[in-house]
Amino acid sequence: MAPKPIASPVPEAWYPSMAALMLVFGLVFTASFFIYEATSSRKNRSIAKELTTGALASVFLGFGSLFLLLATGVYV
Amino acid sequence: METRFALFFFFFLSIALLSTPVFSDLVITKVDRKVENAGPDVVSQLLLTFPEYQAKKLAYLTASSAEGKGKSKGSSANLPVEVVQPEGVPPALTFYSVPLPRGLGKGESLNLDVFAVLTHSLQPFPEEITQADVQLVLFQDSAHYLSPYEVKAQVLSIKLPSPRVESFTKIQNTKLVDSEIKYGPYENLPAFSYSPIIVHYENNRPFAVATELLREIEISHWGNVQITEHYKLEHGGARTKGGFSRIDYQARPNVRGASSFRRLIVKLPPRAHSVYYRDEIGNVSTSHLWADSRKTELEIEPRYPMFGGWKTFFTVGYGLPLHDYLFESDGKRFLNISFGSPIAEVALPEGSKDISVSVPFSVKQWDEVKYSHLDISGRPVVVLEKKNAVPEHNSHFQWYEVQATVQKLHEIMVRCLTVHDKLEASLRDLSRTGDVQACKATRKAADSLLKELSKDLKPLLVFLQSSLQAAQIYQKVEELVVKEKELQEKLMLKHTMVVDAYEKKSAGRELENRIAALQQKLTTLRQEVDDLIDVIDEI
Repeated sequence: MAPKPIASPVPEAWYPSMAALMLVFGLVFTASFFIYEATSSRKNRSIAKELTTGALASVFLGFGSLFLLLATGVYV
Repeated sequence: METRFALFFFFFLSIALLSTPVFSDLVITKVDRKVENAGPDVVSQLLLTFPEYQAKKLAYLTASSAEGKGKSKGSSANLPVEVVQPEGVPPALTFYSVPLPRGLGKGESLNLDVFAVLTHSLQPFPEEITQADVQLVLFQDSAHYLSPYEVKAQVLSIKLPSPRVESFTKIQNTKLVDSEIKYGPYENLPAFSYSPIIVHYENNRPFAVATELLREIEISHWGNVQITEHYKLEHGGARTKGGFSRIDYQARPNVRGASSFRRLIVKLPPRAHSVYYRDEIGNVSTSHLWADSRKTELEIEPRYPMFGGWKTFFTVGYGLPLHDYLFESDGKRFLNISFGSPIAEVALPEGSKDISVSVPFSVKQWDEVKYSHLDISGRPVVVLEKKNAVPEHNSHFQWYEVQATVQKLHEIMVRCLTVHDKLEASLRDLSRTGDVQACKATRKAADSLLKELSKDLKPLLVFLQSSLQAAQIYQKVEELVVKEKELQEKLMLKHTMVVDAYEKKSAGRELENRIAALQQKLTTLRQEVDDLIDVIDEI
């Protein structure tokens, strides 16, 4: 089999926009999580909704920071 | 063993001594020779001899044999060279044995090229000079080629960097022409004949010696190979004495301070990006960067010129695109990169397993673990160390074979294009003379010729595909072959269309339009193929 060159799973030109987009989404989810915590009372709070918003915010912020590092040239 | 020695003759032999412009305390010797077996036995190996003082400084040695003569040499194959110590020879000599590609019978001959690089074999004399002096160096060698075999005829030519020679040993048949000293031709020398010569000449080329050079290679699967090189550089020429006068140096830098150097050129691979340099005391203050499709060059200027014995430390770093260096084959990933320095540290991505290294020369190797950004278990690092590295070690191993193949492929492509031209010419003839039969005959001949050429092409492509070193070129070559095929088909189509139209005497406007469209495509394809051929020619 011929050797096949290996490239990054995500095109390198996308890194800056991916970072911006994901960080924005992550921050929006974080904000919505806090708004939900502040506005809902203890009785009508749903654990499922809290967990999904938290998880989404965490995933987006995590990958956003990774792509931010890559976009700035810190290849991890 | 001795009897066999005597049965050998070296026919023609020339040794050229060159100084390379960048690292010029290197001595490069190239020996082209023709070996003939004059004895009755078949011989399967050859011995090369170096005196002890040269063997210690020998950094690089290759031998390759070539069939045929002169420029039209066939494929030259590199032969493995090994140190051997035959019995009954003086210990002051070091022997290297070269296995021959096929046994040499009686009266048969073979061309052998030996290429050796010696480090630190130019001795500055006087050892200390002032800023205004030129640098003189001594070089020692033997005028007679030191060999365990009888030498039938030999010439030694020493190429010097400048025509100014202080003195050189004169023996019979010695000539100094311009900047070249010629010893010989000498004929019928007995085995182990030795005639020491000393050449004392001016050499103002800077003797840049990296006393310590560490290269860190860090691979990230996110699309980057980060390379950081730490240099500890010294001017290894004659030491300066007395003070350094900046005024004298600025006024006439070429006369005052001729042996010094003020800028360093770092050659980087093509498509290097994010290039930076750094040093602890901010000594490097000026830099320039040039880039083209084949290389990137970084020029850095320390604040002071480098004189003999002076030192400088700095770090250069750059990123390279991953797809040029990392490849996958049979489920394993491999990095294909040149050595580039005496110590190389290759940091692989976290979790890499089953690491193996293949280097075409002997190195010391050990493993380390390195912690970097976002690491949990650390990255495995392979450290490779090589003493006495010279630029020639950078060359890739299989490169020669690959080059020869690419050359052959290039020839075939050019021949294909000439066939295309012939077809076009036959069409023009047709419009002039109207001879349809002749045109058809030309097409038939061209068709069979093209088929033959494509048959020749196949083994070359298979070789290139299987060769790791050609991985970078292979894409281009494949593209070229595909484009050429397309061009061929289109051209044939056009040819048939025109000939048919001529036969039926039907010159419809629709047909003309179709031919014009085809012609347009043909021109662009031809342009692309020509460009690709140029690219491959450069390789």
